[in-house]
Formats: sequence, C-alpha cells, structure tokens
Amino acid sequence: MNRPPYRAFSFGRIAAITQVTLTELTRLKLFYVPLLFALVVIGSSIFMARLTFQQEFQVVKDIALGAMSIATSVLAVVATAQLLPQDVQHRTIYTILAKPVPRIEYLLGKLFGVLLLLAISIIAMSALFLLVLAIREQTVLSETARQMSSAPPDQMADALRGVRASVFSASLLPGIAIIFAKACLLASLTLFVSTFATSTVFTTVVMALVYFIGHLQGIAREYWLQTNSAGWVTKLFLAFVALFFPDLQLFNLTDDIVAGNAIPLALFAKTATLGIFYTGFYLLLAWSVFFRKEL
Amino acid sequence: MTDLPRRSEAKAGPAVAVVGVTKLFPVPFQRRPVVAVRDLNLQVAAGQIYGLLGPNGSGKSTTLKIILGLVPPTTGSAQIFGRDSDSVASREAVGFLPESPYFYKYLTGEETLRFHGKLCGLRGTALTNRVGELLTLVGLTNAGKRRLGGYSKGMLQRIGLAQALVHEPALVILDEPTAGVDPAGAREIRDLILGLKQRGITVLLSSHLLGQVQEICDRVGILANGVLVREGALDDLLGIENQTELVLENASPETIAELKAFVAQRGARLTDCGRPKTSLERVFLEATQTFHE
Repeated sequence: MNRPPYRAFSFGRIAAITQVTLTELTRLKLFYVPLLFALVVIGSSIFMARLTFQQEFQVVKDIALGAMSIATSVLAVVATAQLLPQDVQHRTIYTILAKPVPRIEYLLGKLFGVLLLLAISIIAMSALFLLVLAIREQTVLSETARQMSSAPPDQMADALRGVRASVFSASLLPGIAIIFAKACLLASLTLFVSTFATSTVFTTVVMALVYFIGHLQGIAREYWLQTNSAGWVTKLFLAFVALFFPDLQLFNLTDDIVAGNAIPLALFAKTATLGIFYTGFYLLLAWSVFFRKEL
Repeated sequence: MTDLPRRSEAKAGPAVAVVGVTKLFPVPFQRRPVVAVRDLNLQVAAGQIYGLLGPNGSGKSTTLKIILGLVPPTTGSAQIFGRDSDSVASREAVGFLPESPYFYKYLTGEETLRFHGKLCGLRGTALTNRVGELLTLVGLTNAGKRRLGGYSKGMLQRIGLAQALVHEPALVILDEPTAGVDPAGAREIRDLILGLKQRGITVLLSSHLLGQVQEICDRVGILANGVLVREGALDDLLGIENQTELVLENASPETIAELKAFVAQRGARLTDCGRPKTSLERVFLEATQTFHE
C-alpha cells in the first residue's frame, strides 16, 4: 500500500476530525432540542401581537433574535462540553492521538465541528425568521392596501414603504453574524474549560457561571478602571475578571436591531473582531493546557 | 516531510526501545507521588510478538502510553524505530488498540475505518480499498454499514484492531486485546495477531491472560509494581533446565513399568506420570462448535 508522506500540519486530518465531530453531533438527537426550541419560538411569533405593524415587527424580531442567541449559546456550550471528556472517558482519544495527529489539529477539528453545527443551526433559524418576517410583511401590506384603497396613490405608496422599511433593515444580517460570533467564542471557551475539566457536567456548570460573569464583565471593567479606593486584592480580582472573561454584553446588539437602528460598520467590525480574537485566544489557551496533558 | 519506517526497513533496529523510564504521578495533598513505572529498560525486536505481563496496576498501560507519547515519562525516554516517542511523526509506524475501546457509536464500522484512514493520510480509492480489505480481514464485511452502537464487545475489539491496522503500521500495540471477549472471539483475535506476525508486523501486547500470551508471544516481560521483574524469550523462561518431557501414545501399562525401571536403572528420576490434559479453551470451543453445527 502506498502510504502518503507525513506532514507536520494537515488540513486533511483536521477536516476528517471536523467531519466526524459534526456527524456525531448531528446524530445525537439531544442537540436538536435547542434548535427545535428556537424554531418553534420563531415560528410561533407569526401568531403573536396584533398591535400596530411597527410594534408587531419589533416583537417578532425581539423574540426571534433572542431565541437565536439563547439557542446558539446553549448549543455551543452543551455540544462542546461533552467532546473532550467523553473522548477521554471512552478512550476514543487514544486511538486518534496514537496516530500521527498533532494535538492542535485534534482541538481544531473538534472546534470546527461545533462551529459548523452552529453555522448550520443559525442558517436554519435565520431562514425561518426571514420567512416569518416575509409572510407577516405580505399580510400587513395587503391589509394596509385594503384599508387605504380609497386614499390617494401617493399616500398609499408612502404607507406601504413605511411597512417595508419596518420589516427588513440593513442591521438584521450583521446582528445575526454577531450572534454567531458570540456562539463561536463560547464554544472556544468551553473547549478550553474542558481541557482541564474532568466531566461534562463540570464544564457545563463552569460555563453557566462564565456566561453570567461575561454579562457583568463590563461593570467589573469600569470599576477596575475607575476606582482607586478598592484594596489590591479587589483590584487584582477585578483585573482578572476584566481581562480574562469576555464582555458578552458587547455582543448584544438586539436592542438596536429591534429599534430599527442601523449597526455602524465600525461597531460591527469591532465586535466581530473581538469575537474572532477571543475564539482564537481561548483556542490557544486550550492548546497550551492540552499540549502536555497526560491522557 | 519525513521518511517513514516501512515494514521492510523496520528490521534494522529495535521496534521499541525504552531506556531508563520512570513515571511518577503526583497525588493531590500528598508529598509522595505514586510510582507507576520505575527505571524501566525494554527492547522489542522487529518482527516479534512481545507480551507485557503483570497484575492490574503494575504499570503495563502506563508503559504503553509512554511508548505512544500519550504520557510523557518523568525520566528516561522511549523510541519507536529510532524515533523519539515525543515526536508526532513516530506514530506513523504504530497502530494502537486501547483496552476496551469505545469508538464513536453513531458511526458505522465503515465510517470508523474511513475516519482513521484519513487521519493517516489515506484518500480516495486507496482508502476505499483498504477499508474493504480490513473489514474482510476482521470478518466484519456484513456489519460494515451498521453503527458501532449495535456492535458486540468482540466486534468492537475487531473493528478496533482494524483501525489500528488501517495504515499498515510496522508496529501494533494492543492493550488487553481480548479483555471481555468470549473464548471464540478471543481465539479469532489471537489468530489475527499470529497473522500479523506472519506478515512481518511487530506486535507489543499487554495482558494478564497468561494462557493466551504463552500461546502467541516470542518474548515476555513481567511487570510488578512498575518494575520489570522478569524478561526473556518464552522458551527460556518456561523451560526447566534439568527436566525432559516425553509424551507417549498408545503405551501399555507394561511399557510404562519397563520405562520407569529403565529410568531408575540409569540414575534418573521420573517425577510425573499421567494423562496429559487438553485445555479448557479447546473443550469449550469444540463443544460450542459442535452445538452450532
């Protein structure tokens, strides 16, 4: 048999681990739960709120984006938390790392598998969300046209333009991209925690704490930067929280999207870069722990 | 890119060399670490079947993990075909079957082998052909499309052996390859291991099933509390220097009496005389085979 020469780094090996990770995750029905939850919530929002059309679209967007954010965050943590501990517990990791597979490739493959799952999930949720919006838009447009059938054409055109403007805004897709960036960050951070955790439950509990700390991180950072009266232990703790934990509140752009405000390109770029930076940073931390981990 | 130790090249040096390896595991809140392996020196020649024996907790699995680079030694070093175990490249030449392997249960047998083949750089037709060959070799052709979640213990061991062989390694390391497998399955695995030797593959296996090791190994090392207490060729270890064994067929009581008298006359001593026994394994296999037939 012609065996190909060994390469120190191989995208083929990473792709193989990614593919198997994604296959495993998609065949585990447990992971359909958050996705189904989000799809049901988004889908059911079509029947909600018979208010003014502006309020109605705000409610639909608020519910849908909120559901997408929660579902992807839960999926990112739960899916990643079980990868490493289970591979170690079942000794599957031995058969992989006993082959010419560098540990960084193993981690990358696992992470990419989860990110692919998150991408597929968010695409499915976004498609349904946009479909719901489109259906409601058509209903409201026909209702408006019917109600204003006797109004002058200019007035009717203005009213229909108003409806269309309140449905789809330019900030929708960047907003969804930021939800994905947040989920990537959480997956990478979960992977890091799981490199030293002993079980899936431990990783999930730690990540639940990290999730809450991450949403309060902004307060800690402000306090650390502005307070001079605190003792050095407090300042050290706050510095640790401010530097090590991600500020998850920065990834919450739903309010702006719901209000119809455009997300400035600079803000989008900054938030997306922050997401990519944290994802890479936690991956490096995971590798630094995993590199010499005794299996 | 590096040159690989192919099976033909592997004959030059030892397949495995362990030099002065000690492994300590720190225990939380205790000053004294646990000594898993102590000053271990070991060589496995290419083409041999080497058995690493020892009771539970004697350091067998730790030794194998050190050889595979899964656990770093506290002191000393291990090499595979002259390459340090620390280097990822050294694992090109190795296939490993861990104790009681539990693969991704949602994958089929075929998908599992394809996955491990890809990890070793196999692609396309070569990979497809190799997967087919291995499924035939381990007798799982009909179960290739089934998910591993529905495999029996023996089938899992066989698919485990197949994944260890996917890249045709020059060295195969097996940790308790027949643990939890019924006697018929154990015999199949034993035959597969003997087949590997015939194809020039070096086998290093750990086991505490002494009967099986005795049947297939050329050389054994016995570990106790992390120390290699005995090591050598099986014949040397088992042979009793001042005794000779004769097995007679169709010998009448008179012949035996004459033989005893002759032996005594020549100044030797007959220490045992009785009917040789077959093994329980053989009785079991014959009985179950007859039942199936």
